[in-house]
Amino acid sequence: MLPDLIFALFATGILVGAGLIIAARNPMLGMLGMLVTFINAAGLFILFGAEFLGLLLIMVYLGAIAVMFLFVLMTIDLEFFKLREKPKAYLPLGLLTVAVLAGEFILAANYGLFSTNVTMLPTGEQPQNIIQIGNVLFTTYVLPFQLSGLVLLTAMVGAIVLTHRPRSDVKRQSITKQVLRTKEEGLTMTKPKLGHGTGTNVAKHWKPKSVAK
Amino acid sequence: MELLTHYATTLVTFDNLLMLATTLGIILLIAVPVLLGMAYTTWFERKILGWMHLRHGPMHTGPFGLLQPIADAVKLMFKEPFIPGASNKVMFLIAPMLAFIPVLVVWAVIPFGENPFTGSLMVLANINLGVMFILAVTSIEVYGILLAGWASNSKYPFLGAVRSGAQMVSYEVSMGLIVLAVILLAGSMNLADIVNAQKTVWFFIPAFPAFIMFLVSILAECNRHPFDLPEAEAELVAGYNTEYSAMSFALFFLGEYVAMITMSAFTAILFLGGWLPPFDVAPLNWIPGTIWLLLKIIAILFFMVWARGTLPRYRYDQLMRLGWKIFLPLSFAWLIITAIAVKLLGNLAA
Amino acid sequence: MEAISQLIVPNPYLAILLFVAVSVGLAAALQAVPFLTHPMRRSKEKISAYESGFEAFDTARRTFDVRFYLVAILFIIFDLEVAFLFPWAMVLQDISWFGFGSMMLFLTVLTIGFVYEWRQGALEWE
Repeated sequence: MLPDLIFALFATGILVGAGLIIAARNPMLGMLGMLVTFINAAGLFILFGAEFLGLLLIMVYLGAIAVMFLFVLMTIDLEFFKLREKPKAYLPLGLLTVAVLAGEFILAANYGLFSTNVTMLPTGEQPQNIIQIGNVLFTTYVLPFQLSGLVLLTAMVGAIVLTHRPRSDVKRQSITKQVLRTKEEGLTMTKPKLGHGTGTNVAKHWKPKSVAK
Repeated sequence: MELLTHYATTLVTFDNLLMLATTLGIILLIAVPVLLGMAYTTWFERKILGWMHLRHGPMHTGPFGLLQPIADAVKLMFKEPFIPGASNKVMFLIAPMLAFIPVLVVWAVIPFGENPFTGSLMVLANINLGVMFILAVTSIEVYGILLAGWASNSKYPFLGAVRSGAQMVSYEVSMGLIVLAVILLAGSMNLADIVNAQKTVWFFIPAFPAFIMFLVSILAECNRHPFDLPEAEAELVAGYNTEYSAMSFALFFLGEYVAMITMSAFTAILFLGGWLPPFDVAPLNWIPGTIWLLLKIIAILFFMVWARGTLPRYRYDQLMRLGWKIFLPLSFAWLIITAIAVKLLGNLAA
Repeated sequence: MEAISQLIVPNPYLAILLFVAVSVGLAAALQAVPFLTHPMRRSKEKISAYESGFEAFDTARRTFDVRFYLVAILFIIFDLEVAFLFPWAMVLQDISWFGFGSMMLFLTVLTIGFVYEWRQGALEWE
């Protein structure tokens, strides 16, 4: 009853968001569609009782991955991309993706992986799926877990290799150097005579333009 | 059509309508005090800053200037809204709403203490993953600012927004790690359980370094002094809200101050025992828990204003250095120390 | 208050959904107020981008430092790390020392990455 309606609400939200991603001329609007899709997908997860996964979806996809997309959109020149729009070139690839996805869906439906009954709302009191995940992830599924660690390491190294360009034309602050500087390095004590300057190098190179009389 | 009438007859029942009405009532009971509290946080900040500068702060509207926030709100309502010509109009209007909605939604899970009459917990949604809910929802906050900077299509807002986005994102990691250390101590992610686990000792004592790092991180997360680089007026005019006026501007303002109160409440619950009195002895535990929570929130807000009154602004490279090179490794190390201690000695769960 | 919310509001997530709806409505209403109370009077100077009183020149949308993108990627990786730590923190008391050790190994791998990026100077800002 009520779960059905809420399902319809979130499902419509996902479709609208996804449609916006595809149809929007402005990439930023497509980005907004992506946010809508993620939020509604998280809502569906929570509706099916997987509240940990739902919140994780918001935290990781919405809070991190989409933020990176937004940074990319903000820091590139969008006009530049309009010039190279050639939608037809991507048609075969798109059709292939659609075919693969459709095949997967049909297979999954044949094996009865889709349940059409949404009967429950999560109560917040049921066995917590975060604990169920935790109980198996770090012991039974230790190999995939460690592999995901390696994937993250690869991503980290890859990001640095691809984007990091050390700049040599800027002065950096070295706090250790600043703190460890001694009195001898930075300061020379002299007792200058009147009218003769300090007698150090700085004073030798400094010549007054005109002497006041 | 049959389906519709079916839905209508089964859903629109007296019980369901009563449920809807009470829920809306409770929501208003939470949202209205939060918004009023936000208005008076601005007054509180101006007053405290004034005294710190040997000034009076607002004092002409009402006794002690108490009507100042209301005057400000009314003024902003009657200001002219304008939308820059070069901006993206839809997103220009959506951005302030995105900055405001998440910080208010967090209040759905904040527990306000035990009901003094029935002893039950006062909270709208008592969910098991309360901590994660707060972290997830506050991570959406950054969109309002980033979109505002982009939609304005003006240089200062753009620079302010990009800075702000990178800054909030950088401190979110160490915040998450610190919160994890608290979860380890309490053995639960339910906010009420975390408070109840502090009955023996408030967590800011066993987790003192984490507490200090968390206080600094919430300053950066809320874009508050000394980390308010996104709106550093000397270099960026007003950052992401340069082009905004009237209520759109007010929504950013609301978002920032509600975020301050929200983060203070979160800190009070994680480290300062939430609604628990400092000692469970006679005169102190007569005071209702909600008052204690309120006092703790005010104390943390005072800390935030105090930082603004005392400290000079950070430079951007120093800010990123503090986040990535100091807080991240330190909070990481603290998490591992806590994990080993908890694994060996057990947690403090009530 | 919980007595009420437990009896009549059976579901916390439903309450959160309602809270979101109320917040969105409130934000939209606030956003609409000045459009009703004050007419928009446009002029060329008013709607041009603010540039400290100078004539606005050029668009603000142009390519920008790739460094911010790097920060976002590093944030994703650490956020995922935190995501893995959540279930671990919840079951720490129940799992064996093997489970503890497997997380330590995972963290060591990521620490290697962190040290690498530190040494590469990816965390430097100038």
